[in-house]
Amino acid sequence: MNVYRVRKIVRGQAAGPALICPGSFSFLGDVDLGNGRIIAAGNPNRGQALRGAVLIYRETKGSSGGVVVLQTLVRKGLAPAAIVTVKPVDYNLAEGAILAQIPFACEPDGDILNEIRTGEPVRLDADAGVLEITGDGL
Amino acid sequence: MHLNPSEQAMLDGAEGPVVAVALDYLVQFGEAFGAERLVDLAYCHYPAEMGIYEGSVEDALAYAAQGARVRVPTSCSTLCADVERPTSTGCPATLAALQTQVVDAHRRMGICETYTCTPQYLGFVPPFGACTCLVESSAIIYYNSVLGVRTNRGGLFTRYAAITGKYPLMGYLLDAQRRGTHWFHVDIPPESLRTYDRWCALGMHIGARVGSEVPVITGIRPDRQEWLLGLGAALATSGSVTLFHIPGVTPEARTLEEAFHGDVPADRRIVTAADLDAVYEAQTTIAPHAPIDFVTLGCPHYTLEQIRQVAAALAGKRLADGVRCWICTNRMTRRQAEFSGYVQTIEASGAQVVADTCPVESHMRQSTCRDYGLPVPQVEAMVCDSGKMLRYVGDLIGCRTALTHRDGCIAAALSGKWTP
Repeated sequence: MNVYRVRKIVRGQAAGPALICPGSFSFLGDVDLGNGRIIAAGNPNRGQALRGAVLIYRETKGSSGGVVVLQTLVRKGLAPAAIVTVKPVDYNLAEGAILAQIPFACEPDGDILNEIRTGEPVRLDADAGVLEITGDGL
Repeated sequence: MHLNPSEQAMLDGAEGPVVAVALDYLVQFGEAFGAERLVDLAYCHYPAEMGIYEGSVEDALAYAAQGARVRVPTSCSTLCADVERPTSTGCPATLAALQTQVVDAHRRMGICETYTCTPQYLGFVPPFGACTCLVESSAIIYYNSVLGVRTNRGGLFTRYAAITGKYPLMGYLLDAQRRGTHWFHVDIPPESLRTYDRWCALGMHIGARVGSEVPVITGIRPDRQEWLLGLGAALATSGSVTLFHIPGVTPEARTLEEAFHGDVPADRRIVTAADLDAVYEAQTTIAPHAPIDFVTLGCPHYTLEQIRQVAAALAGKRLADGVRCWICTNRMTRRQAEFSGYVQTIEASGAQVVADTCPVESHMRQSTCRDYGLPVPQVEAMVCDSGKMLRYVGDLIGCRTALTHRDGCIAAALSGKWTP
């Protein structure tokens, strides 16, 4: 399966390599604000940069301070190109994402955490509600 | 989302770019959560642009300079300094000067410069059922539960709600979301629920068990407005409760059935005095008879009557050496308390009546102290009658804590020791 239906949170389209974080993710604490790389010890992508990637993870934790981090990453040019979460988002994160103007979607209709691999080229069209794998995946 | 013609015109720029951008954010926000339309707001409580957050004051000034003006009655939440007495709390002069600048931005925007967590006590009380947008969890839960005024937990977008007078029809603005979900029955004799701190402990206990749902609480009769305030503040602190019902007391729950919209659950959880004891135990980390250096009263901001009682208790007495005691309130109440002589009586004892802020919102946060080169921590051991305050000061200020009734707080301030 190469195409998933998703729920739009923030409008826009973006493409980039997928960055799959299977667990929960917190912008506050899991990311180095200086270089935009993942620093969380339990994250399999530790050391990877968010910049330009389509960041995909299960759910957001610690949302309150995280939105400020997300906006800071945008200001510094270190933000991901798009974000997709498996679980629904809360109001707080939605507000932050809208202000950050990063294409953002959630609640896909398939198992994207296992079916998409880190590094695979993907494209999010939040307006159409579609996340698709654009390469052959290998 | 369906927009009416005037909303569509606003979005298209008929009322200027600041309003158009603000409405665009709200429309995206509403669409993300499936809202069908916008509603007109009756009131907003605006997030204070706090000097302790980098860039926040500058951002407020820039927004005011762009011509942003609020369209509905709007009050403002707490700051990090007492703007009439900027250095009286020990706030560094540079931080106080930065923070005080924000007053001008708010004034230009048409925001009432209230700087309080309890705007309901200043007269911002819209009609029952009105839609509003507030920040400050203790105010949000009070408006929803006690006043029957509808609001979600407003965050960053409270700004855009105030600028447009609009908000997406969703969450707690909808009837369905206001239905009680969990039933708690309090089996505690009324005579042991007669002080403010006990209601805070009750809220801390229930909030931790109900998360973000809507508790319905029976077996209690809150006879004082501040008991409802303390209960709500604690529910919103240990959980993220936005609305509670007390059948026969709060306006959307004339009966148990109404609280649950007719669908009363079979199970109820019983709350006992032992549950409250556990809250006191968890929030008390100061050893018995150990020295204390700070007493806080006024979380959320104290009412005039509470200040009157503190004045009566402190009349003719002196705080122990090395102890600071803040009685936190809003400016309007402090002015009345000055007229009534309470401030003079309290301050003759060495305690302070502080407006606009409180310890946890002040420069005493460890991160702010580091930014301004102040010693950390600013407080070693704090005694307080509020579960909410104590939940935050341990981490943010780095002090040990003790929860007790107001008499116990005052005794600690006078003796310089924590006596359980």
